[in-house]
Amino acid sequence: MLKYILKRVAAMALTLFIILSLSFFAIRLIPGDIAGQGAAPELKAALEARYHLDKPLLEQYVIFLKNFLSFDFGESINLYPRRPVFQIIRDKIPTTLQLNIFSLALTIPIGLACGIAAALKKNTWVDYAISAMVVFNVSIPSFVFATVMQYIFCYKLEWFPFLLELEDSSFSLSKFWSMILPILALSFGGISTITRYMRAELFEALNSEYMLLSKSKGLSKLQSTLRHALRNSFIPLCNVIIPMFMNLLGGSMVVENIFGIPGIGSLTSASIQTSDYYLTIAVLFFYSCISLTSMLLVDLSYGIVDPRIRIGGGKVRE
Amino acid sequence: MERILEVKDLHIHFNAFAGAVKAIRGVSFHLNKGETLAIVGESGSGKSVTTKAVTRILPDNAVIDNGEITYKGMDLLAMTEKEFNNIRGNEIGLIFQDPLSALDPVMKIGKQITETLILKQKMPKKEAEARALELMKAVGIPNAEQRFHEYPFQFSGGMRQRIVIAIALASNPQLLICDEPTTALDVTIQSQILELIKKIQKERNLSVIFITHDLGVVANMADRVDVMYAGKIVEEGTVEDIFYDPKHPYTWSLLASMPNLDTKGGDELMVIPGTPPNMLYPPKGDAFAPRNHYAMKIDFDREPPMFKVSDTHYAATWLLHPDAPKVEMPAHLKHRIELQLKEAEKYNG
Ligand SMILES: Nc1ncnc2c1ncn2[C@@H]1O[C@H](COP(=O)(O)OP(=O)(O)O)[C@@H](O)[C@H]1O
Ligand code: SF4
Ligand SMILES: [Mg+2]
Repeated sequence: MLKYILKRVAAMALTLFIILSLSFFAIRLIPGDIAGQGAAPELKAALEARYHLDKPLLEQYVIFLKNFLSFDFGESINLYPRRPVFQIIRDKIPTTLQLNIFSLALTIPIGLACGIAAALKKNTWVDYAISAMVVFNVSIPSFVFATVMQYIFCYKLEWFPFLLELEDSSFSLSKFWSMILPILALSFGGISTITRYMRAELFEALNSEYMLLSKSKGLSKLQSTLRHALRNSFIPLCNVIIPMFMNLLGGSMVVENIFGIPGIGSLTSASIQTSDYYLTIAVLFFYSCISLTSMLLVDLSYGIVDPRIRIGGGKVRE
Repeated sequence: MERILEVKDLHIHFNAFAGAVKAIRGVSFHLNKGETLAIVGESGSGKSVTTKAVTRILPDNAVIDNGEITYKGMDLLAMTEKEFNNIRGNEIGLIFQDPLSALDPVMKIGKQITETLILKQKMPKKEAEARALELMKAVGIPNAEQRFHEYPFQFSGGMRQRIVIAIALASNPQLLICDEPTTALDVTIQSQILELIKKIQKERNLSVIFITHDLGVVANMADRVDVMYAGKIVEEGTVEDIFYDPKHPYTWSLLASMPNLDTKGGDELMVIPGTPPNMLYPPKGDAFAPRNHYAMKIDFDREPPMFKVSDTHYAATWLLHPDAPKVEMPAHLKHRIELQLKEAEKYNG
């Protein structure tokens, strides 16, 4: 197991290195200018000198890598001039995290409940209604959702404020109130994903032979479902739920922008728009770390929850 | 003799996408206490559906149109689900065809055996575990103490089937239904499992319904035989009736297609021509007529009733009608039976 983890971590490091290099070069291809249009040439020259941008690209790359390896991720250029990129990201995380924890607390129970209900009541109106909801959620992109909700509830009905109340970091009811719409917007996609998975997995489990055995040995339908079908169908769900936990940190570019939430998501788009090279690279790197780690966690979790993999490789004995 | 189970005129259809699949079309049989009844038939003839009806684990799209299932005088089909839960396991145990998929892949096998004891019999955990170990030993699982804590995938096919048998026996049922218990197993393992079932049957004086598509295993397992074809019982009799004096052309084909020890290289095994009928559109006359060498005009028009051959022997074929032309079973089958009879005489005399 340890050997396996080490191997995976090494592969992750290599992947991250490639991503880092690619983003370093790719970012230069995005049109834009660090000094902004129509800036005085002296200013531009000074800026370029400060951020090593006057050197040949390859040399810049070497300097950049060296710094990166010593955990110096560079400074922001335009968005928060001279602030270390690391600090900026660190400061943005709590906002995103707060929002996403609420969203996940909504997503997982609702998704599971809908999926279970649909599987148990397959081909009844309950199932059809839930499936319709899933199709609806999947086919409408979150920015449409977010915009429409904002239009109806903030503008027309004026139930909620347009922007988040974020002055203080403490928690208040009015702050939660202002967060409701973005939380909802963030949750819809995840709810449908979990519902879809849960329904398919549980339905398969319910129709398995081991459910027949369980019933034929005298367990009630409820007992068989709880003890056998559900247990079995939860295992593949690791696949979708663990990445959701990792995404707590990442946030959503779309939703954060629409609701003006100063989290990681809106930081990403802002840094790209302002040609804030090092900030953009750091944010991309941050996202890559999250998704690679969650892939690793998903694989490891199978080894924990599924005995066939945990003990597997152990041969069948006669 | 006391009848422990009686099935009368059972009709079941499935609501399938293409229409109603008439899987069971009037099945009647009975099982005496302490005896082993074999139900034999090609795959698709409705054997599993019949057992699922008896244990009431039919899928949701199955509809029982008609029929009565009586167990020890109780009407099984009229019971509520809750009442019936006390029949399942406690009275009737079921052994499945594929032990690989019948066990929960992520639960330790010990727990799968003790589960009902603890949940239903309210047995203390320690006691249930002791009982499970006892059962595992009884069905021939070595190192039971250690294997108690293992998962199904750590067992071979034969061992898994032993576990399924242990589970079925956990609550001391009196009727054991074995639905092709050896079909999914290696040939070498098959006879071990058959021996085990026989041994258990004797020790516990169980009544057994033994389902198979292989007449070969019937001779040394069963007391009586029901031959099933296209959702009906076409012939019923004692093992001797069926093996030595078969009356139904389908039984003839089954017997003739069965290899036995003295089948020599040159001997021809008969293959039953054609395929069973599509049960979406069951034929009007006898379902076997299109595959039957001896079919007469009436066979395509009207279904034959059960004709009585003797007190124990019945067959549904027009050939038994007094007006029917005299038709003998195929010569090579007759020859084979004569040989077997001589063989048997040698043993007995
Ligand atoms: N769930 C189902 N839906 C539709 N048809 C079914 C279903 N289960 C069984 N059948 C049909 O019932 C018939 C008998 O099946 P079965 O009892 O499994 O045969 P076997 O004798 O091989 O055990 C077959 O024609 C099969 O197609
Ligand atoms: S009733 Fe007719 S078709 Fe059916 S088995 Fe007898 S002879 Fe053949
Ligand atoms: Mg079957």
